[in-house]
Formats: sequence, C-alpha cells, structure tokens
Amino acid sequence: MSDLFDLPFEDEPPELPEPQEPASAAVRAAGAVDPPVVRRIHTVTELTVRIRDLLENDLSEIWVEGELSNCRLWNTGHLYFTLKDSATQLRGFMFRSTLRYLKFKPEDGQRVVARGKITVYEPKGEYQLVCEHLEPHGLGALQLAFDQLKKRLHDEGLFDPARKRPLPALPRKIGIVTSLDGAAIRDIIKILRRRYPNAHLVVRPTRVQGDEAALDIAQGLRQIARVPGVDVVIVGRGGGSMEDLWAFNEERVARAIARMPMPVISAIGHETDTTIADFVADVRAPTPSAAAEIVVSRKDEFYAQIDRLRDRAHGAAQRCVQALGRRVHVVSGRSAFAGFPGRVAMRGRHAAELTHALLRIGRGAVAGRARRIQQLDVQLATFDVGRRLAGIHTRFVAAEGRLTGAVRRRQDRAKAQLQQIVGRLESLSPLAVLGRGYAVCWTEDRTRVLRDTAGVEPGDSVKVTLARGELDCEVRATSATTEVTDRDGGHE
Amino acid sequence: MTDTSIKDFEAAIAELESIVKKLEEGDLPLEQSLTLYERGVQLSRFCHSRLEEAERRLEILNERGELKPAPASFAADPPPRS
Repeated sequence: MSDLFDLPFEDEPPELPEPQEPASAAVRAAGAVDPPVVRRIHTVTELTVRIRDLLENDLSEIWVEGELSNCRLWNTGHLYFTLKDSATQLRGFMFRSTLRYLKFKPEDGQRVVARGKITVYEPKGEYQLVCEHLEPHGLGALQLAFDQLKKRLHDEGLFDPARKRPLPALPRKIGIVTSLDGAAIRDIIKILRRRYPNAHLVVRPTRVQGDEAALDIAQGLRQIARVPGVDVVIVGRGGGSMEDLWAFNEERVARAIARMPMPVISAIGHETDTTIADFVADVRAPTPSAAAEIVVSRKDEFYAQIDRLRDRAHGAAQRCVQALGRRVHVVSGRSAFAGFPGRVAMRGRHAAELTHALLRIGRGAVAGRARRIQQLDVQLATFDVGRRLAGIHTRFVAAEGRLTGAVRRRQDRAKAQLQQIVGRLESLSPLAVLGRGYAVCWTEDRTRVLRDTAGVEPGDSVKVTLARGELDCEVRATSATTEVTDRDGGHE
Repeated sequence: MTDTSIKDFEAAIAELESIVKKLEEGDLPLEQSLTLYERGVQLSRFCHSRLEEAERRLEILNERGELKPAPASFAADPPPRS
C-alpha cells in the first residue's frame, strides 16, 4: 500500500503543511489529558504507527460529505482530490479500479458524499481518505452522469433530428439486440409473428444489465449491422430500475447506435423511462412491444394499401375509357347539319343547287361520321380494352364487359341518330319546293343556277328542272328589266 | 416498363401512388392511361410478391458473429416449423 502513496504526494509538496494544524492541536490536547506519570517517549515512527492503528481501526468505513476540489487524475488512472467544507480539508484518493465504476465524472466544485476509510501515510505523517465510492450529494450519481453525458452528446449533435433516418417500409430482415431471458424478446417475437408472420428475424443476445452489458450491447450492435439484409435494428430490454437500465445510458452504447448504418429503434423499459440510447436512436419506441409494432406494418395493412391503390388506378383507367365513350356520343350529337335542313327549306330559290350541295355535304358528313365511328371502333379494338384489362386482373372483367358494351351502345345510338338525320334531310329536300310549281333554270352544263340574264345570250341553251322531269331550252331573247318576282313572297 | 425498372418495395409503392394520382387527375390520352394502369398493376404485383418474399426465420447471432437457427424451444411461441 505504501508504494502507492509514494507517487502523488511527493509531487505535491506545497500543500502539505496546512492539514497538519488540526492534527498537532489534537496531539496537544491528548498530551494535556494524559498525566505524565511515566515519561514514555515514542519515536516518530512508533507514534505514527499508533496514530495509524487508531485511525485505520476506527475509521475503516466512514461516510463523509464535502465539496470536491483539486481533482486530479494521475496518469496512472488514480484520482486525487481534496474534500473540503467551509473550515477544513481532507485529502482523498481513489484507485483507478474503483473509479471505473463511478457513473459520473468527479469535478471541482461538486458536492459529494464519499465512502471509504482513513489511512495514514507514514513517511509524511499524513492521513487521507481512500475513497471507495463517490456520489453526488443530493442528485443521484446516475442522474448526474446521465445529465453530463446527455449534454455532451447533445452538444456533439448526436440527437439532432436531421440525423434521424426513416425506417424502411418493408425490412428484409429485422435485427434485434437484447437479452434472450427477459419478456422483451418474447413480446417482440410474438407481436411480429402476429403482424407479419413470415418476417425474418435476427437476434443478437446480449446482457442488458450489469457492468458488462454496455460493452456487450455495443458489440452486438456492431455485429448485427454486418448481417446482410438486416436493414433495421431494435435494441432494448424490458422495464427495471434506473440502475437496471443503466447500460443504455452508457456512452459506448450511445456511440454504437449513432454509428449504425441502418436505422435503430430503441425500446428500453417502460414508457416513462428515457435513456441516452433513446435520444440517439432513430426512433424511440416506448416499450419493446411497441417497437415490434413500429418496425413493420401489419402485413394485411400492406395488402390493403396496395389493393386500394390498384383499385384507384383501375377506377381512374375505367373513367378514362368511359370518357372516350362520351366523346363518341358528343361527336354524334354535334351535328354539323342539325340546323341545315330548316334553313334550306326557306331558300326556295337556291333549292336545287343547295340540294346538291347538301346532299354532297350530307353524304360526305355521313361518310365522315361513318369513318370516324369506324376509327373509334378500330381504336377500341386496338386497345381491346376488355381483353387487356381482363388479362390484367380477373376482377375487372365484368366491369370491362359492361364498359365496352356501353361504348358500343353509344355508337349504335349515334349511327341510328345519324341515319335519322339524313332521312330528315332528304325529306326536307328543297326539291320538294318544285312540287309547288317552281322550276330551276340552269346553265346548259348544269353547273350554275341562273338568277339573272347576265351572261345569257339569245341562242344559249339552258336547262330547266321541274318537279318531275327536265326541259332542254334555248333562249330566244333576254330582258334585263323583267323582274322575276317571288311569287311565294315572304319566305326569305 | 420491365420488372427491372422497379427498385424496391418503397419505390414501387411511391410510383404506384404517383400513377394513381396521374390517372385520377385525368386529361390523359386513353393509350397513356392504359399504359399507366398496366404499370400500376405490375407494381402492385411486385409489392405482393415482396410481401411474401421474406422467409419466416428466427436466427441467433452469437458473439463470434455466427448465425444459427434459434433453438426450437425459444422460437416456439407460434409454431416456427416452416
């Protein structure tokens, strides 16, 4: 033990004198009480040994509270410090081996409670506290450690929301890092099996409490990250005390989570427990069971979602085909000659000419319509709506059949309508006017209806169309002044 | 328009959603709507097959990084026979 003490205090001579004072006072007091019947003279060593025996026997397990100062971590890993209150100071020392278990980092100014024993360093006649445990006064050590690490990692940006990755919609393999013992793993498996029966799970068993847990968890995370196909990882454990959950407040676990190449769901304890791991994880699940529900949607929900989308696509495609059907209908309704027959009927004078024109137009239009309908027919046939959709999904066959039927019915209706129009057109033909006694006079070649004498010379041949038959005439004379009155009058 | 054009499940869902949106907005020539619709059906088939693709397994990764099937007793909650 003494060689341990050699190191530090030789390095720090200036502070030595001060603590001596109360000790010398005590020695004086002891001398006053003790009647010097026989003068027993001790050597310094003898006295020191006696003091040591007294102190070390009496103060082998004590608790002391004070403020930390002069905290120094030696390069051996041992910690030296002074505990003080308003009036006095006590030197303290902590071995690296025990320091390791401290959950917080001792720092100057912290109020602490220390447990340990008093030892005497004989070569220098000094006593000090060999500290076996140190904890923050008031605030628990764990809490302080938690706050310290949280602040540090937060400042590093490890909790940054921008770091959070979205979970894969459909993980290929789900990694789970937890203990095989607790209820947590069984809950997770049970729920996943229910939600997604054929999910592929990879479990990396770890300790989840105790001193080795943090190391194990961190290693487990690193290992599971290397399993091909694992694209999301759940890390956690069931409920417990803050100490039980402590591994998840360890820095190495936090860093391991932060370095994972795939998203991590933390699932630690109960809903009210929050650990550092929760802050670093991409998603925090309140419990392991909740993690199983977060990591993948229910399989039937997936199906429902996909089917919903497909149904919508189908509905929209159907509407598109129906729109085509409507277009056919509209074309049939948009009659280029709907108003024509009536107008023609009024124009007695132009009757024959118009009749020809009309018949031409009408027939052209009919032919055009027929072509158009034929084209649409061809288009429909080319798209072969029914067969394509039916081939795509049997459920759609019936609907498609109806659809195609509807389109064809509309076409048929359009054709019928068209025929009717042509019929009306012919019945209203201006030729009918001739029946009332009118005649139409043409040029000889019947290219032009004559309306006045201009361009007509005596001797020219003209043709005259009557209601029945036609006359081939020769002009004997022309008279520009002769008014061709409209006997019918008022029709124009 | 072949299967290799589908990247993964998520991409398929996303594309399917955008197809539905396009179709529902209308104003597309018939031929294009039907092409889109066919693509949609192809995507939904892909999604269905992906949902069945995962193999029902429970594996244990040990400390040496080796993958082993989980002991039957452990995986026995629902029958793990497949």
